[in-house]
Amino acid sequence: MQLITKNLSAADFVSNSINGSIDISEFYGALNEKLAIIQKKYAPFITIIDNPELPKKHGALYGLPISIKDCICTANIKTTAGSKILENYIPPFDATSVKRVKENGGVIIGKTAQDEFGFGTFSTNCAYEIPRNPHDPNRSCGGSSGGAGCISAAADFPHIAIAESTGGSITAPAAFTGTVGLTPTYGRVSRYGLIDYSNSMDKIGVIAKNVYDTALGLTYISGHDANDTTSSNTKSENFEDYAKNSTVKGMHIGVPKEYFDNIDNRITKAVMDNVHKLENDGAIISEVSLKLTQYALPSYYLIAMSEASTNLAKYSGLRYGMQNYVDGNFSEYFSNIRENGFGREAKRRIILGTYARAAGFRDAYYMKALKVRRLIIDEFKERFKHLDALIAPSMPIIAPRFDEIKKLTPLENYNMDKLTIGPNMSGIPTISIPIGTIESMPIGMQIIGDHYNESKIIKIAAVAERNLNGN
Amino acid sequence: MAIKIGLEIHCRLNTKSKLFCSCSTNSQEKEPNKETCPICLGLPGYKPLLNKSAVEYLIKMGLAFNCNISEESYFSRKTYFYPDMSKNFQITQYEIPIATNGNIHINDNEIRIKRIHLEEDPARIVYANGSISTTKYVLIDYNRAGAPLAELVTEPDIKSPKEARLLLEKISSVLDYLGIYDPSKEASIRVDANISSDGERVEIKNITGFENVEKALSYEEIRQKGMSRMNKKIERETRHFDETTKMTTAMRKKEYEEDYGYIFDPDLPLINIDKNWVEKIKSSMPELPEKRAQRMATQYSIDQYDANVIVYTGRDFADFFESCIKKLNKPKEISKWMINYLLKSLNWRSERISNSKVTVDRFIEFIELIDNNTITERFGKELIKEFVDSGDSPKGLVGKISTQTKPLNEVINNIIIENPKAFDEFKLGKKEALQFLIGKVLNATGKRSDPKEIVNILNSMLEK
Repeated sequence: MQLITKNLSAADFVSNSINGSIDISEFYGALNEKLAIIQKKYAPFITIIDNPELPKKHGALYGLPISIKDCICTANIKTTAGSKILENYIPPFDATSVKRVKENGGVIIGKTAQDEFGFGTFSTNCAYEIPRNPHDPNRSCGGSSGGAGCISAAADFPHIAIAESTGGSITAPAAFTGTVGLTPTYGRVSRYGLIDYSNSMDKIGVIAKNVYDTALGLTYISGHDANDTTSSNTKSENFEDYAKNSTVKGMHIGVPKEYFDNIDNRITKAVMDNVHKLENDGAIISEVSLKLTQYALPSYYLIAMSEASTNLAKYSGLRYGMQNYVDGNFSEYFSNIRENGFGREAKRRIILGTYARAAGFRDAYYMKALKVRRLIIDEFKERFKHLDALIAPSMPIIAPRFDEIKKLTPLENYNMDKLTIGPNMSGIPTISIPIGTIESMPIGMQIIGDHYNESKIIKIAAVAERNLNGN
Repeated sequence: MAIKIGLEIHCRLNTKSKLFCSCSTNSQEKEPNKETCPICLGLPGYKPLLNKSAVEYLIKMGLAFNCNISEESYFSRKTYFYPDMSKNFQITQYEIPIATNGNIHINDNEIRIKRIHLEEDPARIVYANGSISTTKYVLIDYNRAGAPLAELVTEPDIKSPKEARLLLEKISSVLDYLGIYDPSKEASIRVDANISSDGERVEIKNITGFENVEKALSYEEIRQKGMSRMNKKIERETRHFDETTKMTTAMRKKEYEEDYGYIFDPDLPLINIDKNWVEKIKSSMPELPEKRAQRMATQYSIDQYDANVIVYTGRDFADFFESCIKKLNKPKEISKWMINYLLKSLNWRSERISNSKVTVDRFIEFIELIDNNTITERFGKELIKEFVDSGDSPKGLVGKISTQTKPLNEVINNIIIENPKAFDEFKLGKKEALQFLIGKVLNATGKRSDPKEIVNILNSMLEK
């Protein structure tokens, strides 16, 4: 079985499952052991589902193993969002994206590790076991969807990871683990059932081994949902079709110079090599400037923390999640729960977020950050009048070692997101693809498109992927 | 020193479902916590879905009180920790409410309305043993959580506790006419009142019942005047009104504005209020109480005062009045009986006309009995009580009540036998004796008999 499925694409696995040349119950019988080995080595999961529910009818994802980031609710399956405060939480309903995976025949194999509520870039702010990079277990998988990147890299079977990004939580792990990460347009995928970090920026997306599988995943989780008012009416597409036989001939691609400041030179070189290859394929390349980039990071963190600090208010040990013997009055009880249930980074963001929206500071911080976000979106929109896409490095460094991460100050830590924050806070789609290695660690390149232009960035990503595979 | 009163009035709107989910708002009789879902319980991962009819109700309310209706409006999160809050933030409106800058007139005083906005009701707290100050623990019922509230905020233009009460009665009546709230439900209106006389503003939180609002403010007025006389400083604070003692007690000192850390609710996009939509709502608005009372006074030639009483008693009461007139064109008679007797009997039973047993046809039947002198007015006043109690046909009731009482002749005969001296004096033509006998008969018949009839019978006895 191992040999049969190892190099199959997700789509081939599905067609073989449907025509019966792969027996899915046999496949899942063998998968348990495999997942246990991976878990022991790299810890991508918070929960592994031992006896996954197999599909009753055929669908576009029939029998395909699919992992779900732990901040996405799964009915009757523990969902913690990486936090101790939800250590025993079992949601009564499926998130829309999970429901759609199941309806199309996908099989949920587990809930992947993450920074608590998505608060981090390295999946080290986690109440549970920290996922380790399959390329070097002493290094981070990136965050916050670290488990999703980890299992995508480690799986020697076809697999798609449903991940989530607020400020770069799909791009970072994809770049660090050498996988493909697609962050769709805000509103493309319903957030119903997603445990909120920053509702105005949270996006459910996909991580997988290649561009085609990643696009396939998006096709079957996207589309309007009446349960999420912010989900878009824009028609869903068969995104995987853009990954087949695509060309970049005549496409205008911008290279924003600000995205190359203070970047590892080797990463810059690898990105520019790939840009030149695309130019040889017929793309029209130009250098552009995104002057407001420098303001993205502070305004992102102000908005994200303001929203997060209200989202986290509901965790008070009263109705669900962590509980304790009732002792003292209401304030004493919930303060105790929150003191013990939240990690350091969650507390930091609650405090900063509460400060940023407090009377007297609100106009200077929260309201101003909203205005800056508007300007940043406008700057991107202005560029996309003349460009089909932008290309930049995904992360400024390769995956750091855990001992290096420990030395980072919170500010240095936040600064790691400087390349992903702008597109993420603007709600525009990005795809990160692996473009080689430095010291045998993967490098990521991101392709950024206008709202609802996933088709264009998937096309460019597929061409770049073919160039790297040498065909 | 004149006092200034401003009110924050929370009105429970009677939409079918809650403000952000499809749970029913009609949960008063339901088992606690049964009318709930992941949205109103604030479970992780839920997203609120706006009930558009609540927005429509609020626009109606805004139009009725001469407000500007915003073209765009937002929802915000008001964050504070309290056990009745499922999310520890309340979805409300902060920056741009749906309705602003309106007014209500109470007699000659214009009370300006600052804003009217939509927000969700928190859960109901049940004080397990005793009150807020004595209970050891509380129980929480989330059936109410997420029900739509309209919060109306006035400027401090109210000049007396009495005027505050009149304002609430007027608002209640208008909401009733708009059909957007249920006046029969207790706690459909809850009030936070601000009052200042000489010193700082004092807030009295969460008062239920119009009479209680007046009482709380009167108590506070007297307390503050007393403090001033003793040269004591009135501090800025929040007080609680105790419904049993009718006194206000200090809850907490208020040294600065409470900080709720408002942010826009990012799950709910901008509400677009199209001008055409507002026009459509405007054209569907019913006749409001003030206009109706004026029209009724002219159209039916009844006193303006009577028309006001009928109209402000309730939309159902005024509808009943006009339905009666369609069947029997005797407006004066009908208004007299409705105001003086029918209303009294309904109030005695704490009923509204719309949920009582009284029907238009049977009430007309009753009026006709009086009108064609089948029964006396005096008897009518007795009959109406029985009628409101049972809802039975007034004609049938006449028979029933008459058989229970002895014929008048017999009663008078007995009285004469018991009071021979008085009868002798009456025979001699003494007026006092006649009055005495009439009084006796009236007492014996429970005042159901007509004095004229008694005199006739007594006179006929003289001839014997």
